[in-house]
Amino acid sequence: MEQALRVANLKKNYGKFEALHSISFEVAPGEIFALIGPNGAGKTTTLRIVATILQPTSGTVHVYGMDVQKDAARIREIISYLPEEAGAYKNLTGVGYLTFMAELFASDPAVQHEYIQRASDITGLGERLNDKIGTYSKGMTRKLLLSRTVMTHPKLAIIDEPTSGLDVVAAIDIRESIRSASADGMAVLLSSHNMLEIEYLSDRVAIIDRGTIHDIGTPQGLKEKYRKSNLEEVFVEVVQQ
Amino acid sequence: MRRFLVILKKELREMLTWQTLMPIILVMVIYSFLGQVINTEQKKQAAPQPITVVDFDHTATSQALTGTLDKVNFKVTTYTEGTVEDAVHRANADNSSAVLVVPQGFERGILAHKPQEVQTYTIMRNFSLVGMTGSVNLDAALSAMNQYIGDQYIRSAAPGLDPAVVRQAISRRSFVTVGTRVAEADPQSIAGIVTQQTMVIPIVLMLVIILASQMIAASIAGEKENKTLETLLSTPVARGALVTAKMTASGIVALVSAAAYMVGMKSYMGSLIGDTGGTSTGVSQAIQKLGLVFNAQGYVLLGLSVFAGIMVALSISVILGAFAEDLKSVQVMIAPLMMVVLVPYLMTMFIDINTTSPVLRWLIYAIPFSHPFLAAQYIFAHNFIAVIAGIVYQFILFVVFASIAARIFSTDRILTMKLNTAGRMRRGSWTIGREGISFRRRK
Repeated sequence: MEQALRVANLKKNYGKFEALHSISFEVAPGEIFALIGPNGAGKTTTLRIVATILQPTSGTVHVYGMDVQKDAARIREIISYLPEEAGAYKNLTGVGYLTFMAELFASDPAVQHEYIQRASDITGLGERLNDKIGTYSKGMTRKLLLSRTVMTHPKLAIIDEPTSGLDVVAAIDIRESIRSASADGMAVLLSSHNMLEIEYLSDRVAIIDRGTIHDIGTPQGLKEKYRKSNLEEVFVEVVQQ
Repeated sequence: MRRFLVILKKELREMLTWQTLMPIILVMVIYSFLGQVINTEQKKQAAPQPITVVDFDHTATSQALTGTLDKVNFKVTTYTEGTVEDAVHRANADNSSAVLVVPQGFERGILAHKPQEVQTYTIMRNFSLVGMTGSVNLDAALSAMNQYIGDQYIRSAAPGLDPAVVRQAISRRSFVTVGTRVAEADPQSIAGIVTQQTMVIPIVLMLVIILASQMIAASIAGEKENKTLETLLSTPVARGALVTAKMTASGIVALVSAAAYMVGMKSYMGSLIGDTGGTSTGVSQAIQKLGLVFNAQGYVLLGLSVFAGIMVALSISVILGAFAEDLKSVQVMIAPLMMVVLVPYLMTMFIDINTTSPVLRWLIYAIPFSHPFLAAQYIFAHNFIAVIAGIVYQFILFVVFASIAARIFSTDRILTMKLNTAGRMRRGSWTIGREGISFRRRK
């Protein structure tokens, strides 16, 4: 079966600084795959390369068989990217923002309407969607952005720190939304340094630190392999090795 | 194209907010109001000016002089009794701006062909440009009186001789030449009207360029700061469409602002320089004959030159905006561009480019924004080749800068290159690396 994402020997340099040292991993369709690691580990750089925003220094990245450098335009049609602490246009209303994004992805008004309806259902913001985004709380904005990420039925969703800075209730909502969208066959590549969240959400995880992937496995498999009770302890063990 | 329009619509919605529209509307209203006020004041000045004559002579000559003042647009109030102080006090109360005192024995002295002296009092109430012109009116009154006395002398000394011939034995007919066209007209009047036409264009153009540049740079920096740019770059919008949509939106908003400024500014400048509505038929015909009006060809050339100037500014601003890390740093990024716009603006307003040294002249020509500033002058002078050459030069520069901008947007430089303005004041140095330009402290 064709992989949703195939990353092979990926390197990325910023000037003399090597942010990624030849990392490799694969994500299957419908799978939630997480990169876990501290700040500066290379998670965001990896996600940005997959999202076709940054270009790799060397190595290859294929999304459903398409190369991120050669087929970037085609890849953008089937992916959706949610950056960490992303904002939205504060002068637009929630509905205005969803309409704008739906129009970018679909030309058929019926499809656009379907996208907006789906996103509206996921946000749970109700009438507040008619208010300007500038009046939203951080949690409301994040819900809006997540619903925008999944509304187009992307084949691969790339989500950077999905619940960063959110309260517990909002974070649980967001995780449920990701889980639900993934159940429909959407592959998810996400990053987080919240190990608890990853343990709950991910099918498989890659432990990354200082641009190197140290191990890949299911949360349960990794805990068993390193004989630890949670992923945090696994992470410390792996990084210290 | 569809996605370009979607982005364009979003950009316009973002840019055309009450916060951006209010200053534009305010400027238009304030300038229009100022223009109206100045026009009203000037009309008041054009009306017969009140003057108080204190006639202590009570003679036919002094009364004839008072009649002369009536003819040269003065509304005369005459007092023959009381003191000068009383007369000045009453003149002040009557809102008169000037008092003229004709002394006793005035006629006797005139008839004896001896120079006579009158006293004048100018009542100053305000010191505005228009208000100050009240003092000049007394010169007109004295000139009219001297002319009357002079004519009397000529008539008594040489009966049958027309005093007008003695005063002005040589008359003149003035012709103005522009290119190959010649028309009979007063050069001062022609110059005044052309100045009015060409002065508004650079002011408005400078405002447009500055406004458009700030808008697009702020739009890009704002997207970077709010992290909406990353989302936008991952959508199926072509990078070229993204850049052009932003440039088009900024251009549209800038042109709308320009139109608003133009309306207000035209009213204001018209009131300062003198409205073309008051131009005499003769001068209007001369202007037409000399080709000093914009015909369709002139408007097209001027429009193209202005459009090209705005496009160059926008393409440069896209690059500068890409360097800006946040909205705060936009001003720092745009400052050099503002200086480059200001130099030709001031140069073309106050000096004649054609008489400067070749080095300075070509330096000014090298600045793309000089050409729209010079275009109106060149069109009036029928130097169309210079205007066309300027437009071609600007479009070449636009293509170069737009290509660089598109290149930045199509690579990861749009996210990685940045200018660290926070550390500018500290000792250090700017460096250019793979990630762009950054600031490093010297060790």
